[in-house]
Amino acid sequence: MILIDRLTHVYPGTRKLPPRTAIADLTMEVREGEFTILSGPNGSGKSTLFRILCGLALPSGGRITVAGHDLFAEPAKVRRILGVVFQSPAVDKHLTVAENLRIHADLYGLSGRDFAARRDEALAWTDLGGRLEQKVDTLSGGLARQVELAKVMMTRPRVLLLDEPTTGLDPASRRNFLAALHRLQKDKRMTVLMTSHVFAEADDVDRVAVMREGHLLAYDTPQALKAMIGTEMVVVQPADPEAFAAKLRDEQGFAVRRHGDEIRLEETENGEGLPMLERILERYRPEIRSISIRQPGLEDVFVHITGRAARDGAPSETPLQRTGSR
Amino acid sequence: MSTFRVALSLAHREFTRFMRQPHRVVGTVAQPLLFWLFMGAGFSGSFKPPGMGQISYLEYFYPGIMLMMMLFASIFSSITIIEDRDAGFLQGVLVAPVSRMAIVLGKVLGGTAIAMVQTVIFTIAAPFLGLHLGLASLVPLVAAFILTGVGFSALGFLLAWGMRSTAGFHAVMMVFLMPLWMLSGALFPVTGVPWWLQAVMMINPVHHALNVIRAPFYAGPQTLLADGHYLLSLAVTVGWAVLCLVVSMLRVGKREKGVTPIPVGTAAMQPAE
Repeated sequence: MILIDRLTHVYPGTRKLPPRTAIADLTMEVREGEFTILSGPNGSGKSTLFRILCGLALPSGGRITVAGHDLFAEPAKVRRILGVVFQSPAVDKHLTVAENLRIHADLYGLSGRDFAARRDEALAWTDLGGRLEQKVDTLSGGLARQVELAKVMMTRPRVLLLDEPTTGLDPASRRNFLAALHRLQKDKRMTVLMTSHVFAEADDVDRVAVMREGHLLAYDTPQALKAMIGTEMVVVQPADPEAFAAKLRDEQGFAVRRHGDEIRLEETENGEGLPMLERILERYRPEIRSISIRQPGLEDVFVHITGRAARDGAPSETPLQRTGSR
Repeated sequence: MSTFRVALSLAHREFTRFMRQPHRVVGTVAQPLLFWLFMGAGFSGSFKPPGMGQISYLEYFYPGIMLMMMLFASIFSSITIIEDRDAGFLQGVLVAPVSRMAIVLGKVLGGTAIAMVQTVIFTIAAPFLGLHLGLASLVPLVAAFILTGVGFSALGFLLAWGMRSTAGFHAVMMVFLMPLWMLSGALFPVTGVPWWLQAVMMINPVHHALNVIRAPFYAGPQTLLADGHYLLSLAVTVGWAVLCLVVSMLRVGKREKGVTPIPVGTAAMQPAE
């Protein structure tokens, strides 16, 4: 549905800064009817890719076709089948919910009975029932997000792009939003591409793409990605991570990975974790603050692939104790 | 046709927004009004422009204040562009299948409508100044309001589009837009100023916009259409409005483009086939 072919984007330099490559020779295909999450650390190029896909920026090189239309040569044709939910609100908060929907309908040439039917359809899944005459700035963050999604759904997009749409939502609102999004995607057979930092959001999607420094590092189903780092992993928090990592490597021959205060032993198969844990505890007990066996989640895959901890990820399962440790 | 419908919808939004913010309404109406009353009353005693007979400063300044209302209304409607474009309402409009002209026209017509409400209300003051405005003169006057509103709003649009911060826009307003207004003849007549200032004033399109607003108060439509000076000013004002609209449309249609990568021997440079 979305074909990205050898896409490159370089931001012009300034007097002080050299030109910066945001996307480097990226090729990927988002298949029709699939829900794909695009993730990557800050500065990985995903926001640039998003802007290009929306038709707001032109790349330095490469091609993108959406439903067979060349995005750069025929932007108007692509705009008609595209729905976009931005990270920052794209509704007018001084206007009511109904007024915002009305304007959006005008932009897409919907009017009369057609508009009324589409509006009711787009509002059906929301909790906005009795609030159509309320101004958007009087709504909660979760409800305001529902307006954004309802507005976009009204035009029945074949391709829906979302840029970190759950930023700033509390967990309950986030879950509601995603549940609605998944339901709509299935019902309408929409192709969805959503950028996200939050890996809890990625578990039940069709495919996850991970970008870093403009390259596509991984692009697969969540299951396949998780299998990359084994089914179990042992996570140790030693007093001195640097020295401890070296010890495990040299004395035990483990493949270790250090992430901040943690040492991770990944690619461990089912049942191997417990003997490893016992062995480590037996020999190094005094040096260890905590140790656990974990099922790797997508966040761990992300950390594994991108080689550093996700900055905005969920807190690690063992709270860090920093006071008086050194 | 659909361009116009979309533009009207966007303009309507602009107008509704304005009316929903009472402090904005009060501010944009009260400031020029206070300006006019205080300066008009203050200067009236000493103001004796050459060749203008018995005109009071209150009366002289009257069309200038209308022009100021136009200027302020357009500035306030353009300033929202800066935030709306990267993190607000305009994002959704830009990705919608609408002509780029509709986006510009929506903003410009909205700004013009806001300005019109104020100036039309302000026209009520004319009889108290001894200015007798016939019904026939209302046509060129309203036309002048529309033209000036479009000209200023389109100019504001053009300036705001390239900006990253509202602070930058305030700076431009103070060093560019305000001087355009000051040198329009709103505050003092073109006659009797140093030659260089006169030259600047004559090429200032806002000066011509002021002429187009001022003239209907003193002459009927027939006289105006036979007056070469008026027609010149009208032509300049129309040209200014059209030029700003077209350039704005081109700016909006232009998508920021990545630069050509520097050809260094990286992995990405492998042959494609």
